[in-house]
Amino acid sequence: MRITRLLFCFVVFLVAGCEEADRPAETTAPAAERAAGDQPYVIGMSQCNLGEPWRVQMNADVKAAADGHDELEVVFKDAQNDTLKQRAHIEEFVAAEVDLIIVSPKEAQPLTEPVARAMDADIPVIVLDRRVLGDRFTCFIGADNRLIGREAGRWIARQLDGRGRVVELKGLMTSTPGQDRHSGFREGIAGTEIEVVFEADMKWLEPDARKEMESALARFDEIDLVYAHNDPGAHGAWLAAKAADREQDIRFVGIDALPHEGVMYVRQGILDATFEYPTGGREAIAVALRILCGEQVPREVTLGSRIFTEDNVEQGGQPLGPGE
Amino acid sequence: MSTTTGNGGTHQHHPASRWVGSPAGRALIALALVLLLGVVFNADGAFFRIGAHRDALRQASVFGILACGMTLVIITAGIDLSVGSVLALVAVCFSLMSIHWSWPAWLAIPACLAVGAACGAVSGGLTAWFRVQPFIATLAMMVFARGLAKTVSGGMKVSTAVQAADGTYDYVAVPGIFRAIDSRVLGGNLSVVTVVFAICAAASWMVLARHRWGRQVYAIGGNEEAARLSGVPVRAAKIAAYAASGLLAGVAGLCQAAQEQQGDPEAGVGYELTAIAIVVIGGTNLMGGRGGIGLTLIGTLTIGYLEKILSINAVPEANRLMLTGPIIIAAVLTQRRRG
Amino acid sequence: MSPSPTVPLLARMRGITKCFARVRVLDAVDFEVCGGEVHVLAGENGAGKSTLIRILSGVHTDHEGLVEIGGRPVRLRSPLHAAGLGVAVIHQELSLVPSMTVADNVFLGRPPVRAGFVRVAAQRAEAGRLLERFGIDVDPGRLVEGLPIAARQLVEIAKALARRANIIVMDEPTSALNAPEVEKLFALIADLKARGCGIVYITHKMEEIERIADRITVLRDGRRVGSAPAAELSPSELIRWMVGREMGQQFPRHAPRLGEERLRIRDFTVIPGHGGPCPAVRNVSLSVRAGEIVGLAGLHGAGTSELLLGLFGAHGRRASGEVHLDRAPFEIGSPRQAIARGMALLTSDRKTTGLVLSLPVTANLTLADLRGVSPWGWLRRRQERQAAGELAAALQLRAASLDMEAAELSGGNQQKVALGKWMRTRPRLLLLDEPTRGVDVGAKREIYQLLNEWTAGGIAIMLITSEMPELLALADRIVVLHRGRVTAELTRQQASADRVLAAAMGTVQDDLDP
Repeated sequence: MRITRLLFCFVVFLVAGCEEADRPAETTAPAAERAAGDQPYVIGMSQCNLGEPWRVQMNADVKAAADGHDELEVVFKDAQNDTLKQRAHIEEFVAAEVDLIIVSPKEAQPLTEPVARAMDADIPVIVLDRRVLGDRFTCFIGADNRLIGREAGRWIARQLDGRGRVVELKGLMTSTPGQDRHSGFREGIAGTEIEVVFEADMKWLEPDARKEMESALARFDEIDLVYAHNDPGAHGAWLAAKAADREQDIRFVGIDALPHEGVMYVRQGILDATFEYPTGGREAIAVALRILCGEQVPREVTLGSRIFTEDNVEQGGQPLGPGE
Repeated sequence: MSTTTGNGGTHQHHPASRWVGSPAGRALIALALVLLLGVVFNADGAFFRIGAHRDALRQASVFGILACGMTLVIITAGIDLSVGSVLALVAVCFSLMSIHWSWPAWLAIPACLAVGAACGAVSGGLTAWFRVQPFIATLAMMVFARGLAKTVSGGMKVSTAVQAADGTYDYVAVPGIFRAIDSRVLGGNLSVVTVVFAICAAASWMVLARHRWGRQVYAIGGNEEAARLSGVPVRAAKIAAYAASGLLAGVAGLCQAAQEQQGDPEAGVGYELTAIAIVVIGGTNLMGGRGGIGLTLIGTLTIGYLEKILSINAVPEANRLMLTGPIIIAAVLTQRRRG
Repeated sequence: MSPSPTVPLLARMRGITKCFARVRVLDAVDFEVCGGEVHVLAGENGAGKSTLIRILSGVHTDHEGLVEIGGRPVRLRSPLHAAGLGVAVIHQELSLVPSMTVADNVFLGRPPVRAGFVRVAAQRAEAGRLLERFGIDVDPGRLVEGLPIAARQLVEIAKALARRANIIVMDEPTSALNAPEVEKLFALIADLKARGCGIVYITHKMEEIERIADRITVLRDGRRVGSAPAAELSPSELIRWMVGREMGQQFPRHAPRLGEERLRIRDFTVIPGHGGPCPAVRNVSLSVRAGEIVGLAGLHGAGTSELLLGLFGAHGRRASGEVHLDRAPFEIGSPRQAIARGMALLTSDRKTTGLVLSLPVTANLTLADLRGVSPWGWLRRRQERQAAGELAAALQLRAASLDMEAAELSGGNQQKVALGKWMRTRPRLLLLDEPTRGVDVGAKREIYQLLNEWTAGGIAIMLITSEMPELLALADRIVVLHRGRVTAELTRQQASADRVLAAAMGTVQDDLDP
């Protein structure tokens, strides 16, 4: 029994201890009053998890943007989807007296307090993608899933001339992105004669999307378009249609537009369109620079989205108009 | 099925009622009930199309392959929680080898199967040699293999978008072996993965029912001490059972990668629970020593068709979960041996 | 035999009769427990001692006869009820919870509470006081699982005393104790006597009976043979009571044709697994020749089963000593290796270690020799059925039962299957532990016949049996063990029931009457 316990503790230890962290050599430096070129500004970045490729992309975007500036140094911490860990991150950053914090929270409520305390310690905080409550933060940068869903709906309505049979493959409907992309889409197609003949929750997973699409194909002989809440879902649906030799008759629309996923699918002709769900990593660094130089920045920065279609994919897509 | 179980109950005399009481009989009744559900809730006739059945089998195949390995381990009175993670690890390796490194199939496939078998052998070794409880040993492997899959893949899906040295992406074609696995035969009415599942089930059945090792597995699960005192090589046989489970998880990983056209390190999460549910619904006893692949086959079909019926009827996710839970409990309750 | 008026009668049992299924385990037994004395309850294995004690302590509530405690007739409903009336039993299998502390165990089930919460400190102090009062040197805060067996036994006694028991039953309490610990126990018993408790002491050991018994009652085959003050009962008389005169119809054993020496062991020692301080088998040396049946005799805890298990490799490295098979040295390894060298072991408990009950009879019969029915790895069904059929015929097992699960067979048939399994391996040395346990008379004769045949064929057999008539009938030589050591080696001519029993209870050979 002893050895079992030992082994178990070891495993738990291993799992708990695994953290991805780029620790710089020096972590403490007085904030703000420092000329550029002296010592680099230290930015602490807390990511709620790195299980989703989209978040991996966010970190990559932050890193890529920061690499272009010698005066910036970013410390990355991964909370592995654990709220308490993320709280600890913020507190650690405060204790280390970093110059700025970027956080993509797992949940709003539990992180509001630590972020507020960071603000009290004169450390500016940029919140990315998911909100905290109240207004004790410097800047929120995020995209609007509802808007994206609405634009997708409108685009689809235009493509189908206002009528058609559509399958909606939904992301996890207990999460806000799923709910927003769903309700936005329904707003976008409201008033048209587009009929959602089949909808299912595929939980953002490709194999599940494929499975649901197969059911839709078995049930309906005529499907005009598939709207999936993310690109893997759209891809899974496409695979199902391809296996049934019906992929030519159906159009596929997804969301996320990661460069080697959704955009690639558009290039390959698999997807008819994908809508970018921007990570905001680049914008975060841009805003961070402005803050560190002492500029005033707006409280909210809503990221625009882009649509990638066959026509514009080489040009890097086309920005959507300002949201209505 | 035929080697291990005698009468289901002790007081039945009529042959028909004796058959109904046997594990195989009960499993088939459960399957029949599910099929009946499908006939009733046929979603505008969709249930009667051959495509629906072909797809139901396709979807169930990966789980069925995992369940074959799980059956072997459960009969030894153990459990294997790592199969989902090993599936992901092998899917990642297969994609890396085939897409990024352009290995030919005859090299990539055995290599991947070896990875799966090795993971299983490690779990088995922990259980048999170091006497770690199977639950804990395979839990540790589950975590480890998942971590290894993420490390090997760099945290991203290994897809046909290959990152070149300068950071841009090259798009390579989907390898021929992927296409071959994800294709159909028999005039488009049977998926190749279903054939793979059938082969795995047949091979597992052969070994379990007709090989000396299979007999050892039943003996160990039935009474490990008696088996040991009868000269059965308990440790070696157990390690082989877990290695077989790992190997089959590897086969499932190959199929998964081919069907997704990529290696996803997040694949297979929760698959081990579905595999266990299949084995339990089929009628193999979790305490070990009884059951068989035939029962697991029926269990696979039962779960597969159940999912299909829920899917074509577009039953909302929450309701699906609430239905599946009690069905599993009901299946287990009907398994209790009388007397 | 009523007690003297100055000695209080704590409990009286009259006319106790108890049946299990159709077997009468106790037949109109009378028993008394008096305060301030040690009353030894003696008898062979299976005489009914444990059953009698279980009735007194409320475990068996379904019996005929009268039980009086404290002068009043009672109908015991449960062990809790009996405990409430002052009866405490120290079992052989200790009833402590290893993961809890000594204090928790002493007050198990009745901890001092306030508003539902256990008063831990008060409990510990109380336990400490109790332990100190009886000179038991154990820290009440320690977890039981860290204590050696001797200390656990003392904790068990403290537990009994915490319940203010005045009738204390001890069932083989010294089986796991070494000499100084036994002394401590006896001192404690003397203390309890002085306080007026009545001690019922079950033991096989003559030396203990001689030391502490005030009164002795002997049971045999469920009946009370007699009861007397210890001073008036000589050891040989005691043994005669235990063994009795009636010997059943002897089974004719063929005169053995002895061959070469098959097995020789020297200084064979087995250390038990679970914390027992003394080795189960201590420096045993013996030999067995081809064609010979050597009977291994001993009472509970003597180490007979451990000897066979150790030899067979079931205890792994815990068995040590020099072993020669067919004059070639043999390293004790695993059961697999033993089987390969021609050994076979029929264990004493077929349900837990002999058969795989979930497998059909056919599979059980071929379990020890799977290679024989699967030369290339694949099982040959027809060959297996044929082999099973042959075995079944030899054992007179119904052919229809071949496909049944072993669990569905009767006890006697199960035993035949367990034996049959070993027949297949054609062993050279057959180790049998209670081969006729649970077997009816007819089947027993069949098995004896088989033993004759096998030995005629050159197999050497070591046999453990707790039935004296069987032992005397079958064994060509008898080796008697007591507490792990050989106390006597008797030839067929020398062997008699009282000699064997005396040796089993500790009398060393030289002291036996010629």
